[in-house]
Amino acid sequence: MASFQGKKINPKRFHVSQLKFYVFLLPLALFMILPIIYIFSTAFKPAEELFKFPPSFFVVNPTWENFKSLFELMAGTSVPATRYLFNSILVTVLTMLISIFLSVSAGYVLSKKKFKGQKLLFEINTLALMFVPIAVTIPRFIIIVNLGLTDRFISNILPIVAMPVGLFLIKQFIDQVPNALLEAARMDGANEWQILTKIIIPSVRPAIATVAIMSFQSAWGNVEASVYYLNNESLKTFAYYITTFSSASTSSITQGVTAASALIMFVPNLIIFIVMQSKVMDTMAHSGIK
Amino acid sequence: MKKNIKKQNLTVTEGEAVATDEALAKAAPVAGDTPAAEAVAPVPAAAVGGTDVTPKKPKDKKEGKAYRFFHSETFSGYLFVLPWLIGFCVFVAYPIIQTLIFSFGTVDIRPGEINTTFIGFENYAKALVRDGNFTKALGDYVTEMVLYVPVITVISLILAMLLNSKLKGTGFFRTIFFFPVIITSGPVIKMFVDQGVASFPGIENLIDFTALAETLPQFLVDALQFLTSEFIMILWFSGIQILVFMTGLQKMDKSMYEAAKIDGATKWEMFWKITLPALNPTIVLNVVFTVVMQSIFSLNPIITKIQTDMNATDGSGGYGYASAMAWIYFIVMLAILGLAVLIFKKHERRPKRI
Repeated sequence: MASFQGKKINPKRFHVSQLKFYVFLLPLALFMILPIIYIFSTAFKPAEELFKFPPSFFVVNPTWENFKSLFELMAGTSVPATRYLFNSILVTVLTMLISIFLSVSAGYVLSKKKFKGQKLLFEINTLALMFVPIAVTIPRFIIIVNLGLTDRFISNILPIVAMPVGLFLIKQFIDQVPNALLEAARMDGANEWQILTKIIIPSVRPAIATVAIMSFQSAWGNVEASVYYLNNESLKTFAYYITTFSSASTSSITQGVTAASALIMFVPNLIIFIVMQSKVMDTMAHSGIK
Repeated sequence: MKKNIKKQNLTVTEGEAVATDEALAKAAPVAGDTPAAEAVAPVPAAAVGGTDVTPKKPKDKKEGKAYRFFHSETFSGYLFVLPWLIGFCVFVAYPIIQTLIFSFGTVDIRPGEINTTFIGFENYAKALVRDGNFTKALGDYVTEMVLYVPVITVISLILAMLLNSKLKGTGFFRTIFFFPVIITSGPVIKMFVDQGVASFPGIENLIDFTALAETLPQFLVDALQFLTSEFIMILWFSGIQILVFMTGLQKMDKSMYEAAKIDGATKWEMFWKITLPALNPTIVLNVVFTVVMQSIFSLNPIITKIQTDMNATDGSGGYGYASAMAWIYFIVMLAILGLAVLIFKKHERRPKRI
């Protein structure tokens, strides 16, 4: 039914069936969009609305009060907020680039090459994917200490660049790239690097964009490094900085500050999503072979 | 250098042979078009493998061996995989193994030193026999998986098919349905669940469950109740699955549908006979992905339990105990995954040519 609209024999009937789909899709779409409305509306709620029970969904009297108190708190810290922001941006960009590169190059060979231990490697990756992430905090800490990376900026990045989820998704997408396409390129004299950059990467763009979004999130929201590996305040990330306010401030403004900081933390996610989603959605239009 | 050229020549000639084959196949009647294209694919792969394994002129044996190694797929494969492998071993694999060691002991963490005392299976016994909370959470997890995984798979398949049809504004809908990806994997989700946004207030009242309980078996009613109350969460967790299904659907061979249509198959029949069998690998992938994502979701009750016990300092938990629980959980998860894959793999069959 779905991918089968190639020959529209009866356009009039097609239109009626469209309506049917809309009836189904619109309410579901509404559910999907709810959280984003909520997060914006909560950030602008005055204190009495925040504490109202049952909580109201929409803000009645929007106010900038929450942001004001958040910025006041920010102004009071010894290290300026921009320093944390700079750290976070650097960490996030580097993590995204490195983890995408690692996942794509590893995914390519694991999918398209034949070598000893290849299957085993991928199985191990899938197993690792399933292990409770929280349980490995302490061994990770031990490794960071043994490598002498405590209080080094790089410990923000290194532990999260090898993303099992990323490799998993990208490898599965590369599996679907037809071998004939790679073979054709090889006949035309393309080397491995060219195959990777000119064929594999363009044809798995949706997976790469997805992994980019995921690695962005894991890097942007990551507080593990700041809490466990770093003592130097000026190396910590913005996510950590933001969380210090919601726990340390006086209770009357905590709720508001938390809501405002949640919005501030969320907006970059939204931006990256909007930037990336067009690439995600134009899925396999350019896969080149049919 | 010389050999390199030779090798290339070899590939080229073989490639040409293939190309002519393809041309011949293309010349064949329309119906044979796509099967031929698929049939061609494995041939070049085999050809390349062949040149690697049997170099034509092994003049100097030693040089040949080294040459073969540096130009083999094993070498280039490991070269590409190496950066990832290092990161993975150091920061993922090794820590996991370390937790296995910790799980057999009590771990005493002081600033600057960590002492492990070996106590055998004590932690495991405690988790499985004495700690009621853990076994209960484990049971809940299994039930939840049994309900969640099929529902998420089916819903995301339906949505993917809807979103893949030529509707006006599909681009907009695709964006919206993919949107939860940035909610569920971030810290934002915690806020939503805390504030109760994740469940739709009043949705339970839409269906009269007590009336249903009189006609249906209790477990079915419970399942239904669970699913309605968790409906939004299920939708939120389908983002990537929808994407994966959509790619699968776009890869479908359109000519098969046309052939089926000419033979008078209905859309319903086409779905069951063509779409579903061809999507089977995609379904397996999605099932695996769903199980994994649900299991490591940060608000999963078992994960929160492991976390609280890990940080407990009153002697009730400790890191060793948390590690043991993590391993038990891991094994249960594997069992579920194995079962799910087994069920779907069993139904694997090749799409029938109609």
